[in-house]
Amino acid sequence: MDEPRDDIDTWLQERVTPLLPHPGTFEQIRKRARRRKAARAALTAAGAVVVLAGAITVPRLILSGNFGATPTAVSSSSVPVQQRFSPSPAVSAQTRTSRPDAASSTPTPPGLPPVPPNFAASSVTFVSTTTGWVIGQAGTPGHCGPPKADDCTSVAITDDGGSTWHGSHAPVTGAPNGGTGVSQARSLDGVSGWAFGPQLYATHDGGQTWAQIPTHGMRVTDLETVNGIAFAVWAQCAGTGADFAAGCTSFSLYSSPAGQNDWSPVPGLTGLQASGGAPASAQLVLTGTSGYLMTPGGQLFSGPVTRPARWRTVAAPAGSPVALPCAPGAAETGGHPLQAMLASTGPGLALLCADQASGNRQAKTLYYSADGGRSWSPAGSAPARGVAMSLSGTPGGPVLVATSSGIDFSTNAPGASGALTWRTARGATAAGGYSYVGMTTSGQGVAVPANVNLDAVWFTYDGGARWVASPVH
Amino acid sequence: MGTFRTSDRLAAEELFHACYPRLAGWVRRLVDDDDTAHEIASEAFTRLLARWSSLDNPQSYLYMIATNLIRDHWRKVGRERRALRAVSAIPAENVYHPDQDVDVRALIQGLPDRLRQPFLLHYYGGFPIRDVAQMLGRPEGTVKADLHHARARLRAVLGEAHG
Repeated sequence: MDEPRDDIDTWLQERVTPLLPHPGTFEQIRKRARRRKAARAALTAAGAVVVLAGAITVPRLILSGNFGATPTAVSSSSVPVQQRFSPSPAVSAQTRTSRPDAASSTPTPPGLPPVPPNFAASSVTFVSTTTGWVIGQAGTPGHCGPPKADDCTSVAITDDGGSTWHGSHAPVTGAPNGGTGVSQARSLDGVSGWAFGPQLYATHDGGQTWAQIPTHGMRVTDLETVNGIAFAVWAQCAGTGADFAAGCTSFSLYSSPAGQNDWSPVPGLTGLQASGGAPASAQLVLTGTSGYLMTPGGQLFSGPVTRPARWRTVAAPAGSPVALPCAPGAAETGGHPLQAMLASTGPGLALLCADQASGNRQAKTLYYSADGGRSWSPAGSAPARGVAMSLSGTPGGPVLVATSSGIDFSTNAPGASGALTWRTARGATAAGGYSYVGMTTSGQGVAVPANVNLDAVWFTYDGGARWVASPVH
Repeated sequence: MGTFRTSDRLAAEELFHACYPRLAGWVRRLVDDDDTAHEIASEAFTRLLARWSSLDNPQSYLYMIATNLIRDHWRKVGRERRALRAVSAIPAENVYHPDQDVDVRALIQGLPDRLRQPFLLHYYGGFPIRDVAQMLGRPEGTVKADLHHARARLRAVLGEAHG
């Protein structure tokens, strides 16, 4: 039998033979680039006009989703597809096929569908420093469907790091309302992605089509993806209205290959409950090699994220199950815990324990683990100003906390020598603070304002010190 | 708006002459067609120049764009092949014979996006793992794991083909 290694190595080691440009290529490129710059500027200036114009250019769309046997929300009905994209019908087959792939790191060219008006972003996911999706509600509630007038969920995509946004297809559902609707989004690679909280939808074609995943009455309160696998927390909850993640009493971890809708429970992690059955929450954190689930009872489970396998309780050095310094407590509106927030930093894990808030102040203690959660050490206190909403680590180690007052960031990494030093970020001035902060790289990150009506998300490019708003329109 | 300062233009032209031949050659290895290679390389430079002033690492951006354009090209070709098969009613199994022609390029096309991007950037673009991690927004360890998984997959498929 041949040795397979030879084929790959031989091919990899082939030298690249330069291909010289034709005469005049640079001038042609320069002119094209200049035209695109001008067109982009014009498009931005005329955004409101484009919204109106785009809404009438809708050919019927022929879908080609690849969802196997799973019924899809968009293909299981004879309702004309053009009416099933909410709230703006401006996404057409022609415009979709003319746009670059969702993962392309390119400026948005003219001709893409506009972001629907009144876009209220509730969640953001970035698959690279340039490509990100925002999910939220847009249009005018009561005037969005069909099939239902409140099906206003919308998705906007950027391919240039937030400089420009364009509309995309969205799950046909509304804002969270008890057991229905979606509010959060995650994407693995710009092709496969999920909308959740509390319902679960998946796309495997860059957001062109979305399929609802049956969750058997359970609500999806958290979802993360890495290495071709998606993991999600499914919970039994009783919360009503926007508080879909309230009153949750039982949690299970499910997983599916990212390219399929084949969800099944992760062995060892079903039916998790808080002590006494009190309503609580759970949080999922993935690194490149391991996954961690903070359970309602304040335990930590871990397992591989490179293959289906049983997750197990993280054991303390003494051998007993590790007890985290704090338990997650009740969830905030988006489904994330309020009393304990777990995050991965490059070197380790960080856990923020938030006390009962007093007005707009709250004691927040950061803990750090350098051994995969087996042992935890206090790493100092985060600023008391603001109520903690979200914790993010960075590949380099520093951490950020989104609060009701803004964003605080550490200038050094927990676990490193010396006390943790905190600074308040400049430019993170959204009234009401931020419900989410996440870092795509050590330098670049994104934050979602707590007040979704601000129609914007915030970006940082310097590790969290300075933030700028990116209007989603 | 839309014009380059003289210094920008000179820098862009310098980058073009320094990078275009290798970029186009790199693309040609992956698309096996000179015209398509020129088209992709030119488009990558166009997008680069269209946002020239806001980029810290133009060369990385250039290869990221080219990688995505190559993927788009592969997808388009794949769609066309599928459409052709549908029209001509040729069974799929009559079109591809891995045991007769082990094409590494075709195998790379079959990698999941998550593995293919770092694979192309590292092995073909020649970027160190640290740069690839920065470009893709992933930890270095993740990129290393992705590269390992990509190679393992290729070897497995090649092993089956040779088997």
